[in-house]
This record gives sequence, structure tokens and C-alpha cells, in this order.
Amino acid sequence: MRRLHPLSGALKVGRGLLQGAFFGLIAGTTLVGVLGLPAGAAPLVVPALALVVGGFALARYYRFTYEIEGDTLRVESGVFARQSREIPLGRIQNVDARQGILNRLLGLSVVAFETAGGAATEATLDAVDGAEAERLRRLVQRRGKATDRGTELTSAEANGADESETEQSTGVAADPSDGPDTEELFAFSTRDLLTYALVSVRPAAPVLLLVGLPLGFDILAGVLRFNLGLVGGGSSLSLSVLGAFGPPRLVALVALVGLQFLVAALVLSVALTLVEYYDFTLVREGEDLRYERGLLRRYSGTIPLSKVQTVSIRENVVMRRFGFATLAVETAGYSGGNGESGQGVAVPMAPRPVVYDLAQDIEPFGDLDFERAPTRARRRYAARFAIVAGVVTAVGYAVDTFLLEGGYWWLLLGLFVLVPPAAHLRWRHRGIALDDDVMATRTGFWRQTTRVVPYYRVQTVFVGRSPFQRRRDLATVTADTASTSTIVGGSATAYDVDDDRATELRGILRERLYTDLLGRKADRDA
Amino acid sequence: MESLHPRVRLLWAGRTAFSGLVLVGIALVVDRFVVSLPLQFAVAGWVALVALGAVHAVLAHRIWRFELQDDALFLVRGVVTRTDTSVPYVRVQHVDTTRGPVERTAGLASVVVYTAGSRGADITIPGLGPERATELRERLRDLAGESEATDAV
Repeated sequence: MRRLHPLSGALKVGRGLLQGAFFGLIAGTTLVGVLGLPAGAAPLVVPALALVVGGFALARYYRFTYEIEGDTLRVESGVFARQSREIPLGRIQNVDARQGILNRLLGLSVVAFETAGGAATEATLDAVDGAEAERLRRLVQRRGKATDRGTELTSAEANGADESETEQSTGVAADPSDGPDTEELFAFSTRDLLTYALVSVRPAAPVLLLVGLPLGFDILAGVLRFNLGLVGGGSSLSLSVLGAFGPPRLVALVALVGLQFLVAALVLSVALTLVEYYDFTLVREGEDLRYERGLLRRYSGTIPLSKVQTVSIRENVVMRRFGFATLAVETAGYSGGNGESGQGVAVPMAPRPVVYDLAQDIEPFGDLDFERAPTRARRRYAARFAIVAGVVTAVGYAVDTFLLEGGYWWLLLGLFVLVPPAAHLRWRHRGIALDDDVMATRTGFWRQTTRVVPYYRVQTVFVGRSPFQRRRDLATVTADTASTSTIVGGSATAYDVDDDRATELRGILRERLYTDLLGRKADRDA
Repeated sequence: MESLHPRVRLLWAGRTAFSGLVLVGIALVVDRFVVSLPLQFAVAGWVALVALGAVHAVLAHRIWRFELQDDALFLVRGVVTRTDTSVPYVRVQHVDTTRGPVERTAGLASVVVYTAGSRGADITIPGLGPERATELRERLRDLAGESEATDAV
């Protein structure tokens, strides 16, 4: 059995000592204050707690062992409650490594193993050195492939393979180019990365900015003062100043602040993307995809092609205009909660043909011929958008009548002009295509997502009909897969298809699932 | 296509009535400690909720259907949005029968079918007689076994 890297143990003990000392400081002062202990007691609590917490971290380090034996990964952990876990290598979906700044300086990385079951990461080694991370990755890669092919390795063979692999891996770590045939699929040049950061707008950026605003209060106040000066008010910050303003100045102020907010959000979004995707490379290594990225924290990982569940191609409206697209692959491994937006992104941005080539390489499919929803679906969207426009107008009317008394509420009626084009665009960007081996669905105007699901990956088929859909004989067909991201999707959904067509699709999906599974089994046996 | 046990209507209606009572309880607490509320409205609201729950339960029972088809478990449900779900037997990971305390009192049981999917990874057939539930679970287990997962996830 192996231990984690001694440096990471030392790091954890050090952190434990600091944490203990910090708690000791708080606890000591509280005790002296509340219980009326002599003032000399406080300094004693600090080293005591530091030793306890640090000691616990040390014990944790010594009780954590792991090893790959034959074709299982075994992890033993826990100080008081002992836990031992065995993961068959063939069941591991992804191996990821990440390096925080401190770990990078020490040459360590945190290796995480994901399987399809369970809500959290199944095994995390925090932390091992680079050579060891590489060795583990190679072992999993090799064993996983053997299991996928259905080849049963005898234990003797497996052990033999292990030993040779171990010897080989030390060499491998020293020279990364020496491995299975590698081929670089994609790398970001600085210019491409900047372009990508500019066009890929992160919806989270404005939210983050809002949350962060109170932290930079001085800057915020400064900017607001500057704005007020610009509009021609005094430099004192209070709401009463606003009362003295007429509507034109008020509007100018709001527009100014709004513009500044948007620019700040854009800058933040660009910065986040740069940090996340700095030096991104995607390499094909035999049957695996391997990525590396990150400016401050480095992330790297392998995605076995044989475990890919769905392939998604995403294009936001700007990218579509210039012919670029994002490629994302999903496996069953990642647990939905780990919140890494880059998870599963194979190519952040490349010209559309490149992205499609790569997607077809991962999951063979031909030219996708999308069938659109019946035109009555467009009427449905128009009705829905009209209701939204109506509600907004009503609210605007109420606000105007009772609060502002400006008399301009009717301007909101202009929203109705937007209804027909909006409905048309939504309708035009939705569709479903049935290819030889895959089903593809597409949706979204602002952010178009094309999701490709091989028939043999389908889990459950849902056909839903809301009351509004029933009125127009429409239905929504969803093919669920074992991908884990529930929020971003995972399931391929065809919206508002004709009712009869939906029933037909359900039949096709169910039938193709079985025939394709049997076909693949026959291929493997042959 | 098979329907659920008629008694499940009682169970569903009772559940709405109970959650309604919790709401009324909250209203009472707010009335007592925070601001006085017009309590007759709370009671009227509760009565309306119970009536609505009863109607919903009757409709839900009328719509709920399931069937063991050749290749998949097929179920139809949903009062507002009607959904039919096909769970291919190859995709069944495991099957549970569950009997919560309330279900036990009503003499009912549920069968839960688990798949590896992301959405609706567990599919519940509620309101079954206990024997039927056991029978169904065993049947599903056999069907899942026969179709022998050719591909792990």
C-alpha cells in the first residue's frame, strides 16, 4: 500500500497547526472572558488546540493508504472510523488531476477518480507527485480499456501487466511524449483564447459582481460620486440628491451606472475565462481524450472515448455569427454538484467544421438533417411571448400610474412588435434529427445547443404533453442518458413535435436501443 | 394497462389535506406572534385546498396507468402535464418495494425502479397492493436479468 506524498502530509499538518492555533486563540479569549479563568490560561489553549488539530492531520495522513492491485483501486482511510473502498478499474469513468497554487509550487497534484455511481467523487488522493499521478492514470487507462473490450485478463496476466506498467511509468513521467500514440487535437493560441473570452459570456459574471460589490465599497462609492459629478449633482452620496434631479438627469444616471455595470461584468467574465482556459490543450491518447487547462490552478484529466454518453455542440449567438462552436462531451462520471463550469468541455471554441469533425470522430454520425416542429408550435410560442409582453405591460402600467406618474407606460406596448420574430427564432432553432446511429436534438437561439445521443446510450424515454401542447396536438420527447449534469441537460429533448410523430419517435428510440446494444455485443464477441 | 389501487386516492387526498394543515398551522403561529391574520380565510383556503386535492387525486388515479410491455416498463401519469415514460428493462439497475408508515396504514406499497439516467433516475409506481408490489418487483427483476445488461452504463 502506498501513502500520499510526504510533502502533502507536511502541508496538511502545518495547516492543522495553524487552524488549531486560530481556534485556540478564539476559544482561549472566550473562556477567559466568560468563565473568568485567569488571564494566563489563554496562551495555553493555543498550543494545546494546535497540537490536537495538527496531530489529527498527521494521523489522517498516516492512516490514508491506497494501491492499485490487479484491476481494483483500493483506498483505506479514516482515523477513528476506518473505511476501505475498492473500485474496479473498468468502472472508473474519468481520472482528473488538479493543482492549486501551493501544490503547483511543490509539484503535487490532487487526483480524483469518478465512477458512475454515487453523488460525490469516489476517491480523491490529496496529493501525490506528478510521476505518481501519471502512473495511476496510465494504469486506469490500460485496465479500463481491457474491461471495455470484454477481454477477461487472468490474474497472472493482470499482475504481469501491472509490473511492466510500473517500470514503464517511471520513464513515462520523465518524458511525457513517450506513451500510447498521442495526437494533439486542439490548443488555444493567446489570440484565440482572448477572442473566446470575449464572445463566451458567462451568465454567472453579473451575479458574482453583485455579490462582490460590497467588498469593494470604497471603489463603488468613488465611481458613484464621479457619476453624480458627471450628471451635475453634488458629490455627497445620499438618496435625497436624486430627488432634486429631473427625469432626464435621472435617466442619464441610470444609463451610466447600467453601462458601467455591464462593462465591469464583461471584464470579470473575460478574466474568469482566461484564468480557467489559459493554456488549454486537448490531446488524443489512444482511446482517451486528455485535457489540460488553467492559469492559477491547473486542471488535467482523461475522458475515455468508450465512456462518452453524449456529445454537445454549443454556439451562442455571437459565435454562430462568426462560425465558431464549443464541443462538450459528457460521461456518467461527474457528479452534478461539483460546479466546475469547464467540466466536460472538450474544445472551448473552434471553427464549426473542426468541432463537427471532432464530434464525429468521437461519436460517428453523418450530416444531421433537422426536422422542425410543425408551424403550429410557432403559434404556441407567439402566444406564450404575447402573454409575457402583456404581463410586463400591465406591471409597467401599474408602476407608472401609481408611482412614477410619467404617462409613458404605453411605450411597453412596443414589446408586442418583438413577439413574432422571437417566436419565429425560437421555432427555427429547434429541431430533431435521426441519423443511422444517433439521435440529435437542437434548441436555443441565444445559446444554441445541439445534443447528439447514440441510440445505445438511451436510458429512459419520456413523452410529455402539457395542457397547451394537448390543445395543439404537440408533445415533447426526452431521451434520458446517464450523463450527470442535470442542470445543463444530459437528456436530449425534442420540443413540440407532432403528437403522432412523438409516439413514433418513442417506438424508434426503444427499438434502436435494443438492436444497437445487441449489435455492439455481437461486434465485441466477434 | 393496469391501474393503481383505488385506495391510493384516499392516500393522496389525505396527504394534501395534511400539508394544508401544516400551512394553517404556520398561519396560526404568524397570527399569534407576528401579525394578526384573518383566520377565516385560512380555514376557507384549507377547505378549498382539500377539495382541490380530492379532485386531483381522483383525476390522477384515473390517468395513472402502467404496463409491462415487451421491452420496457411503460407508464402514463400526470394530471396537468401528461407524461408517458418508457423504462427499457436493460436499463433497470435495481428495483425496490417501499412501504412508508402512511402507506402501511393504508395497506399499500410502492415499487421504485432505478436507472442510471440523470433525470428521473428513480421511477415510482405508487399505490399497489402489497402482494402486487412484491410480484411486480420480482417480475421486473427477472425481466431486467433476462435482458442482461450488455453494456455497463
